[in-house]
Amino acid sequence: MRQTPRTLFLLLMLLAAPMGWSQADSLFHKAAKAYNEGAYQEAAGYYEAILEDNRHSAALYYNLGNAYYKMGEIAPSIYYYEKALLLDPADPEIRNNLSFAQNMTLDAIQPLPQTEINRAYESLLYQFGIDQWAYLGIVFMILFVLGSLAFYQLASPNKKRIALLAGLLFLLLAITSTALAYLQYRAYLRDQPAIVFAGEVAVRAEPNRGAETAFQLHEGTKVQVRDSLADWRKIELEDGQTGWMPAEALRLLKDF
Amino acid sequence: MRIRGWTILLFLAFSAPALLGQEEAEVTFELKLSKERLGVNERLRADFVMNKDGDNFVPPDFEGFRVLMGPSQSISSSWINGVRSYSKTYSYVLAPEAKGRFTIGQGTIVISGEVYKTIPREVTVTEAVDNPNGAPSVDEIADENLHLVAEVSKTNPYMNEPVSVVYKLYFSSTVGVSNFRPLDNPKYNNFWSQEIPFSKYSIENGTYGGQPYRYVVLKRVVLYPQKSGELAIEPLALEVSLEVPTEKRNFFGERIYATANKTVSAGRRTLQVRPLPETGKPADFSGAVGDLDFKVTTSKTSLKATESLQATVSVSGSGNLKLFQLPKLTLPSSLEVYEPEFKEDIRTTISGMQGSVSEEYTIVPGFQGKYPIPPINFSFFNPRTGTYERMRSGEITIEVTEGPTAAPASTPAAPGAVKSPVISGNQFYFIKLRPELSSKTWSPFFGSRAHMIWLLAPLLLIPLFVVFRKKREERQRDVVGNKVKRANRLARRYLSRARKLLGQKDAFYVALERALHNYLKAKLKIETSEFSKDKIRELLTERGVAPDTVGAFTRLLENCEMARYSPFSRVQMQQDYDKASEVITELDKSL
Repeated sequence: MRQTPRTLFLLLMLLAAPMGWSQADSLFHKAAKAYNEGAYQEAAGYYEAILEDNRHSAALYYNLGNAYYKMGEIAPSIYYYEKALLLDPADPEIRNNLSFAQNMTLDAIQPLPQTEINRAYESLLYQFGIDQWAYLGIVFMILFVLGSLAFYQLASPNKKRIALLAGLLFLLLAITSTALAYLQYRAYLRDQPAIVFAGEVAVRAEPNRGAETAFQLHEGTKVQVRDSLADWRKIELEDGQTGWMPAEALRLLKDF
Repeated sequence: MRIRGWTILLFLAFSAPALLGQEEAEVTFELKLSKERLGVNERLRADFVMNKDGDNFVPPDFEGFRVLMGPSQSISSSWINGVRSYSKTYSYVLAPEAKGRFTIGQGTIVISGEVYKTIPREVTVTEAVDNPNGAPSVDEIADENLHLVAEVSKTNPYMNEPVSVVYKLYFSSTVGVSNFRPLDNPKYNNFWSQEIPFSKYSIENGTYGGQPYRYVVLKRVVLYPQKSGELAIEPLALEVSLEVPTEKRNFFGERIYATANKTVSAGRRTLQVRPLPETGKPADFSGAVGDLDFKVTTSKTSLKATESLQATVSVSGSGNLKLFQLPKLTLPSSLEVYEPEFKEDIRTTISGMQGSVSEEYTIVPGFQGKYPIPPINFSFFNPRTGTYERMRSGEITIEVTEGPTAAPASTPAAPGAVKSPVISGNQFYFIKLRPELSSKTWSPFFGSRAHMIWLLAPLLLIPLFVVFRKKREERQRDVVGNKVKRANRLARRYLSRARKLLGQKDAFYVALERALHNYLKAKLKIETSEFSKDKIRELLTERGVAPDTVGAFTRLLENCEMARYSPFSRVQMQQDYDKASEVITELDKSL
């Protein structure tokens, strides 16, 4: 009997905290139902309502991408898949469906080849996320401290030596992890991917209407935004080509 | 002298009756023209004739003509059956100065005191004639009866609008055409031309210049002007062998026909070609003109991977089908597309090209998925309405139902990953059912205050630890201080309650007594509160406690009892408290 008020309190807490979120969850489930019945437009509407509520997840973006893919809209479909991948880069389902959507794009862009060293560096850098590297740095730092303490505490010279070496190794690892976190963070800030939304857009050599057309891009192509001037964005393709295009033809992926 | 006299006599003898008859005849004075209608390169003879001698002849001013010769005077006089006829003529040879209708005015003469005037005559001067003033030769007859005409359907077409030219040879029923041979086929510069072939020539009846003629269609050409402005169609020249009737007749009274070779040419025709209007010209206009229909079709919309399908871009209708580029199909880069096959099915009639042109793309999808064929635009100019029309094909989506999926694309986060066509699955996955929603605002843990604290705070542990260790070592070295500390600790443990009650006499001593007993209970594991002091003393001495300490302990217990019945000051209480802590410390050493 004595426990009843406590449990009640806990229950209330659990219910009250996600009051706003449970509404989003119900929208999410409604959308899943609509999607399964083939009402993709309706499903997309529900998902977008959740987004407007300032809530998101990789699953949500993935489902939106699916809905748009089913409606045959290339650019939004790729846009949302890419967003889902930003939140969860390792998900195989998202990648799989993204490749389906990318089949619909018109532009074939060959990425520039990378050097062996560059590739090794990038694979190391993206082994973990920014925050994961940061946590790892903390863990190594604590291990380093423990090692140092052990060095002080232990009596036998052999054990002291081992403790010292381990401590120094952990310090090195801690610094490396934090540095990698920083490098990845910087790369993240520099990386400004965007998806072309206009059906066909002329990429020009200069940021004005009169400039010469360098090349044409079509809906769904992913570009990197490098610079901006008024309503124009300087973009770079994966194959290294650059040019200017009007901002309204693009949508930035990192606009969370 | 005698001879002259005779002559005069004779003259008189003959002339006298003539003078008599003249008086009876009417006086005439008129203008005679060699022709009333003449070519500008021909000449005209004008005769002013009178039948009685007159004086003071004044010619008209011959406006529009030039006097080539004249006036020349001639007189003829004859006697026939006693009637004298006389005529005097003033002749002029005139050349017309221009084409048109001219009037030759009045000439005047005075005959026997009377003034006579001629009647004005009108002359029509036409274009120059080939053979001025000649008799109609075979060639002339041929000319008059043979006409080559180029009939142009439209003289002010738009660029690329079809214009048909039909060459017809008209010949009248009086001449017979035995053969013809084109001398020079016209080259249609600045036109795209297509001749419409036909198997044999047929003679048909028609009219030319309001007169019945027969004609043969020689050639039919459809022209598409490729340039705007004034364009000339070169004339067609034809050598015709024909039979022309002559005035001669043969033995049986039939006309003898003369054979003549005649070169005729259709006149040079010029077309005023209008350029296509610039206003409203679509950007993707590729020069198609006509009444056209545009569509994009696929042979199927659902298929398996590695099967093939055909996408056809076709334009049909009437217009310059051969003269424009079909719009190119833009297909997703992931589809394998072969070079399009061009097909045309065009009939050229007198009204232009009709039919369809198409480009057929063979597409082989390699992976499953949906592939949209984006709509493409085709614009053309419709000369009938004079406007540009724009057609847009519908969007087609090809669904590839079975087959491998495309290689999953490399992550945006790891641009270093190698793209390789690893086939991982072959289905389009369903949506995820767990929302796992979180707030959209993301701030990285990296660089946050928590991160800094967690990263750097452990480092502070090292100096802290060092300091702590040093302190402990110091503490271990200092024995007396340690003892004091230990006593304090024990006292704190057992006397804390008593300490709190310092000043309240009864409560303090009750607490103190209990503390002492508790201590013993803790150390000796014996409940001593019911024991007498002697018993306690015994117990303690048994355990090897110094007699002084034992004494002090018992004394304390006594004090506690006594305090209940006598006044105790606060100072005494303090003393007893200190003593108790001292005793407990001492006891602790031996117990």
